[in-house]
Amino acid sequence: MSDTSVVPRWRVLVTPRWLSWHLFAVFAFFGMWWLGDWQFHRALDGNSLSWAYTFEWPVFAIFGAVFWVKTVKDELNPKPPEDPEEIVLPAGAGNVAVAAGDLIAGYEADEGINGIARAVLDKDGEDGETADAELAEYNAYLARLNLEVKGHGKWHGLR
Amino acid sequence: MDADRLRPVVVRAYRVMAYVTGTMLIILCFVGIPLQVWGHNDIIAKVVGTIHGVLYLIYLVVAFTMTRFVRIRTASVTTIIVLLAGTIPILTFVVERWISRRYIDPVLASSPPSPTPQAAVSQ
Repeated sequence: MSDTSVVPRWRVLVTPRWLSWHLFAVFAFFGMWWLGDWQFHRALDGNSLSWAYTFEWPVFAIFGAVFWVKTVKDELNPKPPEDPEEIVLPAGAGNVAVAAGDLIAGYEADEGINGIARAVLDKDGEDGETADAELAEYNAYLARLNLEVKGHGKWHGLR
Repeated sequence: MDADRLRPVVVRAYRVMAYVTGTMLIILCFVGIPLQVWGHNDIIAKVVGTIHGVLYLIYLVVAFTMTRFVRIRTASVTTIIVLLAGTIPILTFVVERWISRRYIDPVLASSPPSPTPQAAVSQ
C-alpha cells in the first residue's frame, strides 16, 4: 500500500482553523480600507482628527496583509530553532556532564526541574565543599534555563 | 551571530514602545475620552488620540519584530495578543511582563553573550 500517512505541508492551511483565519484576514483587510474611506469622508466634512485616521487605517490594512503572508510563509517553511542543542557552559561546568545521569533520573522521577537541582546538589554535597554547592547551584540554574527554552515555539499556535 | 547581537536591542525597543504606547492609551481612555464626553472638551482626545495612532503603528512593527527574534510562532494567539495589546488600555504592561517571563528572559539567557559565570570559576 502507498504511504497515506505523509500529508503535504500546505494541507495544514486548509484546516478549518486556518480557513477561518484566511476569512478573517480578508474581512479585516477590506474592513480597514473601508474604515479609512469612512474617516476620509469625515475629514472632508471638517473633522480634523479624521485626517490622521484616514492615513492610519490603510497602513493597518497593509500591515494586516503582510502579517497574514508571514503566518502562511512561516507555517510552510518553519525555521528550525536556532542552535537547539547549544548550551554555553562556563569553565568548570563539567560537574553537569558527570551528573548527567542524575539529572535525567531527577527529571524522570517526575520531580521536574527541582529534581534536577536536587540531583546536582546531592552529587556535590558528597564532597562537602560549599564552593562546590554554589557551583552546582549555578549549573542547575543553567540546566533549568535550558529546559525552559527547550521546545520553545513548538507547542503554541494555530493548528 | 547577528541575531544574537540584535536581540537585546529589539527587546529594548519593544519594551520602550509598549510602555510609551500603553501610557498614551491610558491618558486617552481615562482622561481624554471622559473629558470629551462629559466635559465637552476634546482637545486632549484629539492630540493624544493622534499621537497614540502614530505610536501604535511603530509599536506594531517593533512588537512583530520582537516576536520573531524571541521565536514566538507567527501564526499563534500569543503573537496576535502582543500586537493587539497596544489598542487595549493597560494590556501592554501586562503582556510585556508575561512575554518577558515566558519568552524574552529564557531566550536572552540562553543566547550568547552569556552571563559571566562567577561561581563557576571557583573550582
